[in-house]
Amino acid sequence: MSDDPLVRVDDLHKRYGDEEVLKGISFEMDRQDVQVLVGPSGSGKSTLLRCVNRLTEFQGGEITLDGTPVTEMDVDDLRRQVGMVFQDFNLFAHLTAKENIMLGPRRVLGKTEEEAAERALDELDRVGLAAQADSYPAELSGGQKQRVGIARALAMDPKLMLFDEPTSALDPELIGEVVEVMEDLAEGGMTMLVVTHEMGFARAAATDIMFLDQGRIVEHGPPERLFENPEHERTAQFLERLTRLHGETR
Amino acid sequence: MADPVLALGALSADWRYVFGNVDYLLGGLWVTVGLTVASLLVGFVAGLPAAVVEVYGGRYSSALVRNVGVVLRGTPIVVIIMLAYFAFGISPAFLAATAALGFRSGAYQTQIFRGAIESVDGGQMEAARAVGLSKTQAVRHVVLPQALRRSVPGFQNEVTIVLKDTSIAFAIGLAELFTKSADLYQSIGHTTATFELIVFISAIYFALTFVTNRSLEALNDAVAIPGGKGR
Ligand SMILES: Nc1ncnc2c1ncn2[C@@H]1O[C@H](COP(=O)(O)OP(=O)(O)OP(=O)(O)O)[C@@H](O)[C@H]1O
Ligand SMILES: [Mg+2]
Repeated sequence: MSDDPLVRVDDLHKRYGDEEVLKGISFEMDRQDVQVLVGPSGSGKSTLLRCVNRLTEFQGGEITLDGTPVTEMDVDDLRRQVGMVFQDFNLFAHLTAKENIMLGPRRVLGKTEEEAAERALDELDRVGLAAQADSYPAELSGGQKQRVGIARALAMDPKLMLFDEPTSALDPELIGEVVEVMEDLAEGGMTMLVVTHEMGFARAAATDIMFLDQGRIVEHGPPERLFENPEHERTAQFLERLTRLHGETR
Repeated sequence: MADPVLALGALSADWRYVFGNVDYLLGGLWVTVGLTVASLLVGFVAGLPAAVVEVYGGRYSSALVRNVGVVLRGTPIVVIIMLAYFAFGISPAFLAATAALGFRSGAYQTQIFRGAIESVDGGQMEAARAVGLSKTQAVRHVVLPQALRRSVPGFQNEVTIVLKDTSIAFAIGLAELFTKSADLYQSIGHTTATFELIVFISAIYFALTFVTNRSLEALNDAVAIPGGKGR
């Protein structure tokens, strides 16, 4: 079982009405892999992520997590095992940072108030926000919000973390603190599927980069190869542009 | 002729009638307050789940809720209360009035809560689901706590409307504030006090709405999310 890849996406097809958004996506991720996903707007990056934790249903192909097709798993159980971090943070506005992190462990994992609180403080500490435990989202900066968002997902002990443009809504000077947390996480062995334009992160942390365009994988490989020696001219141009725009933000 | 006390007394005979019956009127005031509170409770207990069903329910259940609401909101309250008391035979009158005002308020409260639920960003539900909460848990722990806070101003409005509409219980003879004032100005020899009585009970209604408005504004501030934009 554990020889299986952690994630296997096999010939994934996804339609919205008549429009086919994902046109046969296949790839695998081993444990501790960091898969970076890039591609122009509308290429299907978010949709692919949302298929993995079934925030959206897909029509063809298969996604397995730890050998089990996600479509055969209880959906709440699947999401328990897959953490997600959103571009717009989506912190629960009426809860403090600590309470944001506690909600899942309390209501989904059935932990006690004390256990959940202790874990939340640990996670806040890990992302450098122990002092902000009792702050409400509206009282936090964008970078702090996103770090709480990451801590919230981590408190569920996920096998896999999905990141959908976690730094795109941030002011440039706040991107670094979030990328740093993500790099630590990658170093710590977390399996991560990351949509991002931060090429600094991709170079530093990615096992593989996947270039998606119009619902198809154009090119897929380790960062060295995609940056230095891409097969397709399009890949080179796209990565070059991203590097120019989002390369050295720190 | 020059006696000022006598002159004043002669001028305010109707007012003296009003003040001489304050206890009688206050008896009606408590019925009014009780009816308002009971109706709002019925409305809340019916309206909040109805709003959840309208937003998150299946096609048929939400359509059912919507249509019941349209009928209730589209029928004059006097008709609803007469139906409750005379046609459906709900008794005593207080219960009939509570049912009529309560379900009508429920229909309006559904609108208040539905609007508030829909105003909560969709990302909140999505994040809750992504953490593994079921839809019901997400509604209960994430959406409703935010929606209810946003409902307070609309609810405040609803409270004052129900409070004033309790006077419609006059139609079924329930001895609330307005009915009692009518009893007084319709008694023989006192029809001249109609204006004074209406002014007096209007002042009471005004005082009640003033106090509830202030209390609910205080509640609104008390439940406001720290750091949030002032609503
Ligand atoms: N809920 C939806 N209903 C219909 N079409 C949708 C929906 N969500 C996405 N799409 C369409 O699917 C395609 C892929 O969208 P997706 O959000 O996955 O792209 P993306 O690569 O994440 O883009 P971006 O970089 O702008 O976030 C787009 O054409 C989009 O319009
Ligand atoms: Mg996207």
